[in-house]
Amino acid sequence: MAQPLRVLIAKPGLDGHDRGALVIAQGLRDEGMEVIYTGLRQTPEQIVNTAIQEDVACIGLSSLSGAHLELFPEVVRLLKEQQADDILVIGGGVIPEEDIAVLEAQGIAKVFTPGTRIETVAEFIRTHVRLRPLDESPAASVTVLGLDHVGIAVHRLEDALPLYTGLLGLKVTHEETVEDQGVRVAFLAAGGTNIELLEPVRDSSAVAKFLAKRGPGIHHIAYAVPDVQTALNQANSAGYHVLDESPRRGAHGKWVAFVHPKDTFGVLMEFCQSSQAGDRT
Amino acid sequence: MQAMSIAEDYEKWREKTEKSLNKRPERKAQFVNSSDIPIERLYLPSHEMDSEAAYKEKLGFPGEYPFTRGIQPTMYRGRFWTMRQYAGFGSAEETNRRFRYLLEQGQTGLSTAFDLPTQIGYDADHPFSRGEVGKVGVSISSLADMETLLAGIPLDKVSTSMTINAPASVLLAMYLVVAEKQGVSWDKVSGTIQNDILKEYVARGTYIFPPKPSMRLITDIFEFCSKEVPHWNTISISGYHIREAGSSAVQEIAFTLANAIAYVEAALEKGLDIDDFAPRLSFFFNAHNDFFEEIAKFRAARRMWAKIMRERFNAKSPRSMQLRFHTQTAGSTLTAQQPDNNVVRVTIQAMAAVLGGTQSLHTNARDEALALPTEDSARVALRTQQIIAYESGITNTVDPLAGSYYVEALTDALEERAWNYIRYIDDLGGAVAAIEQGYMQKEIHKSAYDTQRAVERGDQVVVGVNRFTIENETQPELLRVDPELGRKQSEALAKLRSERAEEPWRRALDELRAGAERDENLMPLIVNAVRAYATVGEICDVLRDVFGEYQAPIF
Repeated sequence: MAQPLRVLIAKPGLDGHDRGALVIAQGLRDEGMEVIYTGLRQTPEQIVNTAIQEDVACIGLSSLSGAHLELFPEVVRLLKEQQADDILVIGGGVIPEEDIAVLEAQGIAKVFTPGTRIETVAEFIRTHVRLRPLDESPAASVTVLGLDHVGIAVHRLEDALPLYTGLLGLKVTHEETVEDQGVRVAFLAAGGTNIELLEPVRDSSAVAKFLAKRGPGIHHIAYAVPDVQTALNQANSAGYHVLDESPRRGAHGKWVAFVHPKDTFGVLMEFCQSSQAGDRT
Repeated sequence: MQAMSIAEDYEKWREKTEKSLNKRPERKAQFVNSSDIPIERLYLPSHEMDSEAAYKEKLGFPGEYPFTRGIQPTMYRGRFWTMRQYAGFGSAEETNRRFRYLLEQGQTGLSTAFDLPTQIGYDADHPFSRGEVGKVGVSISSLADMETLLAGIPLDKVSTSMTINAPASVLLAMYLVVAEKQGVSWDKVSGTIQNDILKEYVARGTYIFPPKPSMRLITDIFEFCSKEVPHWNTISISGYHIREAGSSAVQEIAFTLANAIAYVEAALEKGLDIDDFAPRLSFFFNAHNDFFEEIAKFRAARRMWAKIMRERFNAKSPRSMQLRFHTQTAGSTLTAQQPDNNVVRVTIQAMAAVLGGTQSLHTNARDEALALPTEDSARVALRTQQIIAYESGITNTVDPLAGSYYVEALTDALEERAWNYIRYIDDLGGAVAAIEQGYMQKEIHKSAYDTQRAVERGDQVVVGVNRFTIENETQPELLRVDPELGRKQSEALAKLRSERAEEPWRRALDELRAGAERDENLMPLIVNAVRAYATVGEICDVLRDVFGEYQAPIF
């Protein structure tokens, strides 16, 4: 799963000083990133196009000619226009302190000036691209409409329900047995999202195995997506281990699919298609 | 006999000293300079260095071959170097004001910084000029701008250096036409154009055309000036930017001299006589931090150039063998942190340049790691040179460090290593081939990266950056270029285009195109185009059409 972070180092404008850009490019490579260097004299349009084509997570802009106030924000603007503004934009060069605030207000996440250690830049990139949705590349990221529900595995629904309906005062909105998955479920509305309690109906079901191994607890987190198949493809091509080749029917007759917890930091991830429209078969 | 006994005594001293190292270790296990030359604890007289024959061969007398000790017999006892501060920003009017200010303050020559659009042959209203107009230098699109830039400056008295490369012919033509309008004949004007395209491919990036037509433009200038503008330095072959891009001292002189060899060969191929153009070749070096390495570098470069000209190219005139150079202190050593410290760095670097025998000098201002210099900081930079010249006393004898065991050993070591590079570049097929293969670029990048790592490890100390830092630094006042300048310049250009006479303008550009397609010397045609107020962008566009554009490979 963990592909190297892809970074584009770019020289906007006419500035020919690329010592810093080249040193940063090599330094980030040594930090394990995949780095593409644009070469000199790139327009903001060219930089944004390259970034999108190359599927990068981060653009590092370098200018020593004083054109940063015009050119850096233009890159950010064009990324927005192309709906690729999940790409992290950072900058460096001969940039006076008072301009840094101006740039940061316009969406340049951070400006590094001479004397910065390469590992500081690398660390910033790592921590800041990780906050972006799912994957580093805009074309490959899943559109998440919201948190549909949190699934909690329990031995018996009857034992668990009083906590939610009593103490928390939630209402059961739906109960059903999903034969396919060997579970009986109860949905409770909790503000903008739902709690799904799952009780195994046979010993061979996944939830039964989960309970045997780990006891009751959070079993999965489900994200509402506009199209499960697309989300599945995206997860698959980004190298995540998916449990379903194609969506299957879940509770409420919704299309669902799962990503293996070993790739999602221990929490089984479900995509579910909130609209019920359209029979996929 | 005496040398033997020094050697014996030295052995005893060395043993004793090394025993004491357990208790009092040295700061580092090994001392080296930027060129990777190991530095000994102590340098001694040696027979090899001190014999009469060695003196004559390696040092000679100032003003005489091999010019190690300087190109003039009296050096600064006669006249100080030219104090030439690189200046230019914003509009021609603003830069003209700065020029006059610097001359009033005792500066003795001008040095013009052009903005990037001008340097890459785009007018101020070209889309690629966005954000760049007037930023790193003055914006010059047409003769009208040049007239404003030089207004009130007597071109028969002041020499002017212009940092212009790919469109050097155009800016030189403009300068000559302005001189003409001032009533100054071309044989009275003096100055320098950088005109060094090879290092643009290697290190600085303001190229336009591919190497072959670029070399033609350069040799056209050599030929034209040798007849028409005899006091003009037709090229300033520059190691400065190679060093700024991260090279070592030895790479700086080796790559610069390799480029110089390529220019000389191109001119000879064109049929020019070596002693006609070689005296007008000039050089431009960096003055970096390692004081003695830098002094030795200048001396080694002088000796090498003399040998190259006499032995490789059979030059006869001593003037062809004299390496004349401008020096600028190293911009890349300036720190944004604690900017006042930069005044001290610049002083040390400038002293190295003077002790190395420079012909002219630019001292950087303390705020240049942050922006272009303000008037105040530009003045301190100039005063630094004046203090060295008038107060320090280091100017009172010629080549004061000659005979220092250390300096002479370093000079020899740098020369030897530089020859190795030059031989290797010759084997690759010369400088142009080496550049096309990315050889110089890769070597420089490797040095730059090693430096970065050494600073990050703390092996190389940068005061105020990785040692002796302070929290909450106050920011100095910085120079700001009018952000509206691009728009104003565009309006002025539109006006110029609508007002100039259409017919001569069109004809001049047509003739230029025809000349470029044939093998005519382009200088007179460019002078004509400039007279007809053709702009830098229009002239370069004609040449782009005929010559094509250089596509930089990425290595």
